[in-house]
Amino acid sequence: MSKVKLALSLATASLWYRRRVLALVCLTLTLSVSLLLGIQYLRTEIRQSFTSTISGTDLIVGARSGQLNLLLYTVFHIGDATNNIRWSSFQKLEQDRRINWAIPISLGDSYRGYRVVATNDQFLARLQFGNNQSLELAQGEWFDDLFDVVLGAGVARQLDHHLNDEIVLSHGGGRTSFSNHTDLPFRISGVLAPTGTPVDQAVYISLDAMEAIHVGWESGVAIPGRGLSPDRARARDFTPDSITAAFVGLSQPILTFQVQRELNQSRDEPLSAILPGVALSELWRMMGQFEKALLGISAFVVVTSLVGLVAVLLTLQAQRQREVAILRATGASPALIASLYSFECVVLALTACLLALIVGAGAIAGLSPWLLEQFGIQISLRPLKQDEWLLLAAVPVSALLVSLVPATSTWRKSRKQGFGAADTD
Amino acid sequence: MTRQLAFRWPGQTTATAFPDIRLAQGEHLFLHGPSGTGKSTLLGLLAGMLAPESGTIELLGQPVSSLKAGTRDRFRANHMGVIFQQFNLVPYLSALANVTLPCRLSAVRRTRTSPDPETSAADLLRQLAIPDDHWHKGVTELSVGQQQRVAAARALIGAPEIILADEPTSALDADNRDRFLDLLLALAEQRRSSVIFVSHDRALASHFHHQQALGATP
Repeated sequence: MSKVKLALSLATASLWYRRRVLALVCLTLTLSVSLLLGIQYLRTEIRQSFTSTISGTDLIVGARSGQLNLLLYTVFHIGDATNNIRWSSFQKLEQDRRINWAIPISLGDSYRGYRVVATNDQFLARLQFGNNQSLELAQGEWFDDLFDVVLGAGVARQLDHHLNDEIVLSHGGGRTSFSNHTDLPFRISGVLAPTGTPVDQAVYISLDAMEAIHVGWESGVAIPGRGLSPDRARARDFTPDSITAAFVGLSQPILTFQVQRELNQSRDEPLSAILPGVALSELWRMMGQFEKALLGISAFVVVTSLVGLVAVLLTLQAQRQREVAILRATGASPALIASLYSFECVVLALTACLLALIVGAGAIAGLSPWLLEQFGIQISLRPLKQDEWLLLAAVPVSALLVSLVPATSTWRKSRKQGFGAADTD
Repeated sequence: MTRQLAFRWPGQTTATAFPDIRLAQGEHLFLHGPSGTGKSTLLGLLAGMLAPESGTIELLGQPVSSLKAGTRDRFRANHMGVIFQQFNLVPYLSALANVTLPCRLSAVRRTRTSPDPETSAADLLRQLAIPDDHWHKGVTELSVGQQQRVAAARALIGAPEIILADEPTSALDADNRDRFLDLLLALAEQRRSSVIFVSHDRALASHFHHQQALGATP
């Protein structure tokens, strides 16, 4: 035990003595460990934020299609619906006693590249994301008038829109559309608080408004003279014939599979009901390969800097012959001298890990407001998870392993050490 | 004492033979001879860092030459102090830490210090005229003469039975050399340590009880 203490104190004294050279090696190691740990951390965070893009919703119901397709166009606003579902089918959902709530959504139009989602007040009240967080309005109110529109946080920020600005929606998707609903402009009544989910990247109008702006567009383009004026539109009733999909919350989650099976086998209309959690993890599995590659690359960066560390230690070995001769002559065993290298490597690696933790925590704390503001990515500081600790622990362990290279060569040399340093030249 | 000792370096065709040596506890021996006669090799053999090709070494009644390498290391830590020609000190330790190093490697040496290694080291450094304000400084700031005296303190601490000195005065001027030698031998006598001193400078021989020439005998 006292030998270990001696080796440790000699190793730290030796590290301190060579701090100028080793500081650079330690810096390299710190940066690479920060990279490794940072990627693993972000991986977990992004996966977490991705899989909790939508929460609290038990089923998503749409026209018959694959679950990924349904998930992509309802939640992520990617791709298009294969078909609509009848309004009567939605009403049946609402009346089902097992179903607690249902949010209708109707897609198809866009505003300068952002999807227009037509829905009702259930959307604000019921839709949840993350850790069962509800949507909130940052400014203004949820739409009330027929020509009110609520913007997602990302849209308002990107396009620099403010409350009561007037905007014109476009027909169909895409960033540049040639057919705009110019005769029926919308007023911005509210802006949602940022969520870090695709909710930020859409604009919200009522189902009625969606019907109203399409009066006279039955053929796909505006037929002059057949559109409505805003006042005439407000007087009319616009119960939709069909919607794109519905988010459904059940009164008892245990009924999920039963309701899902019934909907999938519905004889009235070909429907698909999917479990968002299952679909999200399937989607993540497809996208997960990329982040695994990234983690692999950063692990290689750590290995590279460990190799650099060994190279420096081997270079220093030449300078340390006198010191080894003194220690040997004073009675230190070759094993003790070899262990100095291992201790030095491990102490350096531990220092680098500690610094990496500080760098990482500082970077996350410093950058997270900016990330949320600029990219809508929500990353918060949290204690490390088990696999992150394991990854971190792997660094000193691999340092110990690579230290065996200089340690064994020193061990072998110091066994043959003669009297005095001159003999080893 | 040694008997019919011979050693061959790897690649050497003929082994170097050494004269038989017998030394009583507490007596000092002066070994001299021109370079290349194996002075350092003999010290390496005595220290147990090299293993002889033939012959035996018996120190303090122990057949050192037939011990295993690890046991020889422990024997050296417990019973020997060494001083080299130069570069005697561990560069990253203070003067005081360099002196107490043998006590950290050997419990035997530690228990022989009184009351503890630090006090003992301080006494030695004072006796060897190392100024107090240098004790905690890095040893690279010391002069060569001071470095050699710190090395002598390290060899003397914990009163080892044998002190091996390999031309420790060759880097010193005449005044320093005589002062160093007087101090070393006086302090060694206080502790009843035998000093085996190697040098090519025969003028020093008068300080020692015995002298032995190397290289002349086969």
